[in-house]
Amino acid sequence: MNVLDPAGPDAGRLAELSWILFIGGGAIFALVLAITFFAMQGSDRSRKRLSGNWLVWTGGIAFPVAVLTGLLVYGLLLMGAESRPAEPDLRVHVEGRQWWWRVSYEEPDGSRLESANEIRIPLGREVEFVLTSPDVIHSFWVPSLGGKLDMIPGRTNRLRLTADRPGVYRGQCAEYCGGPHALMALEVIAMPAGEFDAWRAQASSPVENAPARGGELFLATGCGSCHTVRGTSAAGTIGPDLSRLGERRQLAAARLPMSAENIARFITHGQDIKPGNLMPEFRFLTADETAAIASYLAELK
Amino acid sequence: MSRVEALRRFLVRRWKPIAAGAAALALLAASGGVLVAWSGLYSVAASKGHWLVIDRFLRFGMMNSVETHAPDVEPPPLDDADLIRLGAAHYYAGCAYCHGAPGLAMTPVAQHMLPAPPDLTSHVSLWTDQELFWLVKHGLKYTGMPGWPVQNRDDEVWAVVAFLRQMPDMTQQTYRDLALAEVEAEPQGGEEIARGNAPDAVSACARCHGDEAGPPKSELVPVLHGQPREMLENALRAYLSGERSSGIMQTAASGLSSDEVAELAVYYAGLEPPRRTIDTAALSGHGRELAESGDPARRIPACMSCHSESALPVYPRLAGQNARYIANRLKAWQAGQTARTDTAAIMVPIARLLTDDDIAAVSDYFSSLPQAGGAGR
Ligand code: HEC
Ligand code: HEC
Ligand code: HEC
Ligand code: HEC
Ligand SMILES: [Cu+2]
Repeated sequence: MNVLDPAGPDAGRLAELSWILFIGGGAIFALVLAITFFAMQGSDRSRKRLSGNWLVWTGGIAFPVAVLTGLLVYGLLLMGAESRPAEPDLRVHVEGRQWWWRVSYEEPDGSRLESANEIRIPLGREVEFVLTSPDVIHSFWVPSLGGKLDMIPGRTNRLRLTADRPGVYRGQCAEYCGGPHALMALEVIAMPAGEFDAWRAQASSPVENAPARGGELFLATGCGSCHTVRGTSAAGTIGPDLSRLGERRQLAAARLPMSAENIARFITHGQDIKPGNLMPEFRFLTADETAAIASYLAELK
Repeated sequence: MSRVEALRRFLVRRWKPIAAGAAALALLAASGGVLVAWSGLYSVAASKGHWLVIDRFLRFGMMNSVETHAPDVEPPPLDDADLIRLGAAHYYAGCAYCHGAPGLAMTPVAQHMLPAPPDLTSHVSLWTDQELFWLVKHGLKYTGMPGWPVQNRDDEVWAVVAFLRQMPDMTQQTYRDLALAEVEAEPQGGEEIARGNAPDAVSACARCHGDEAGPPKSELVPVLHGQPREMLENALRAYLSGERSSGIMQTAASGLSSDEVAELAVYYAGLEPPRRTIDTAALSGHGRELAESGDPARRIPACMSCHSESALPVYPRLAGQNARYIANRLKAWQAGQTARTDTAAIMVPIARLLTDDDIAAVSDYFSSLPQAGGAGR
């Protein structure tokens, strides 16, 4: 997660701007230091010259006006480069929620592919992120891919990004949204376009052959009142979609690496792992029952 | 004004000797007290009673204290048959052995307490509803009158107050009907009496919860018939450990052994659910919507995912449960009763999302829903 390590053109422009600011600011700072030095320690002649009005006119007015105008024009040009063709190659809806991310991909046929906390995108194609929030203000920020944009209740913000380099890029909620805000992260996986298409083609179908006992316990425990698992009666939308939980790299908004053990731990001690999150702890389940549910979920891939 | 001013001047001038005198007096009184206590001369015998003036003085102080501390709250409607019946049933277990009851004399043991518990038939009229509430909730220091076993169940305390209001002109028959859910005591043979298999045992659950013959008579008492065995055991163990707060049920369950808990759970799990006349109007609308789909926009999950027949057996079934009990429990959680058991930790945050309208609608819905289960479980 680094602004100065861009993985796409948008982040690239931001990095360029940052470098210009750092270097230009450094140079001006050095100049000011030098003038101060001569004003204090220089010979009488140089001190006399520095005390004239001309320095105020040039250094105090003309120079800043020139530099700031230059930067403004440059900035406007950069932003101008943002204007894009009408339709992006892919549209992904991301809803910031306390304290996780609902992700849904617009399918070519207009339907939606639901997921959470992890976003896969094809390399070299332009992706439009449609950013909303049902509760409080969150902010979507994946530094390696571009700038951040707030997710505001009642508004829809759009952010277009393209990735040039394959990899896993970490993002973070960048606007304080209460309790475990600092633990509300996500991952963007940039993958070759062919692989992405193949993944998307099969991701919408339910997983076959998931362990049966764990699946039954999952339903009997009422997990389905908050979570969806496609192909079962679990259709809740209060928590993240778990239809393909096992194929995600991280658990609970990039809080923990994905594994059956970590899933089990989150089910019974989620408030220790992510204090304040909105899933209750199921401590009354036996270790055996928890393990069965966890391995069921870990196999959903 | 000038006299006050003179006094003020005097105090300002002479405060040192005055303070010294007061301190000396206090010291003398304290050491006198210690001396009396140390000597053991004062008799603490309950059998001797107080001098009349002391007795009058203590009573005077007690009545004023109760009047001052009684809360300034509006009581719930006290002429409520469900409330009165529940209060009577608890009175039978928790108060009658000290205060007596209609047709039931005080025990000689209680009569020899100091102060002796008064016959409440004549005493309730001395107090306002709020004062009775305060007395039953907090008890009386230095008298043996106990406070309510838990301090966060005002609803239960009001049930007893509702009963106390009715008690003065209650016949023995009415009392037995309310407290024991029976109109006439079955005459018993000498052997039964001698062996103590009395049907009016204080611990008899059926007084409140009913049995094969029928469901609970007070709508404020939950129907246990046909609930899963695990759920019943879980609830009883939570009362015994004090993690589930109820002065009434903690009293009723106290003294149950682990085996008895298991036996009772099997018994009620096996009872046929009572038949109800079904209110079809309540089976559609908002209550059903919440039960089957919840309200995702408000983060309310569908109740049926956890409360249907196919849910885990530690989860309570709600179909056929008494509407007033359902509403009462949800409101207690809303009012701030905390989750002290692992199962309550799941339900409490959900209960706190519900509005009063939601609670009314789901209570009606579930109480009208025919209950499955029963003997088969
Ligand atoms: C009351 C609603 C609710 C219930 C019931 C519930 N969950 Fe959750 N669950 C949530 C919420 C909300 C989150 C998001 C927590 C966060 O990361 O902030 C979550 C997160 C999770 C996650 C992490 C998902 C991810 O994307 O990494 C798993 C796994 C999970 N729940 C499993 C379960 C299981 C198993 C059960 C049943 C034993 C269950 N949940 C019951 C609301 C619920
Ligand atoms: C262990 C015996 C005991 C039990 C059990 C007991 N009480 Fe009392 N109660 C007393 C005593 C003793 C007093 C008298 C205090 C006094 O006279 O100052 C008293 C006083 C009262 C009074 C005040 C009456 C008056 O005018 O002095 C009320 C009302 C009362 N009790 C109600 C109850 C109720 C209702 C219960 C059951 C929830 C109950 N008590 C249980 C011993 C008991
Ligand atoms: C004086 C009346 C009374 C008696 C006697 C009584 N109960 Fe209860 N019972 C109640 C009330 C009132 C509640 C609801 C308490 C609450 O709010 O938690 C209750 C709750 C329960 C519950 C929890 C049910 C649920 O749905 O969560 C169980 C189990 C239970 N009682 C079992 C018993 C057993 C077994 C006995 C006999 C040993 C017994 N009760 C005796 C009044 C009584
Ligand atoms: C994720 C599972 C879950 C969901 C969803 C759920 N509950 Fe519960 N509910 C529980 C558990 C567990 C308990 C037991 C609490 C205890 O031990 O006291 C419970 C207890 C209750 C009780 C007390 C029952 C009794 O016999 O004492 C009521 C009433 C109740 N729930 C109503 C609801 C309503 C109404 C909804 C829907 C708005 C709902 N519940 C949704 C898990 C759930
Ligand atoms: Cu945040």
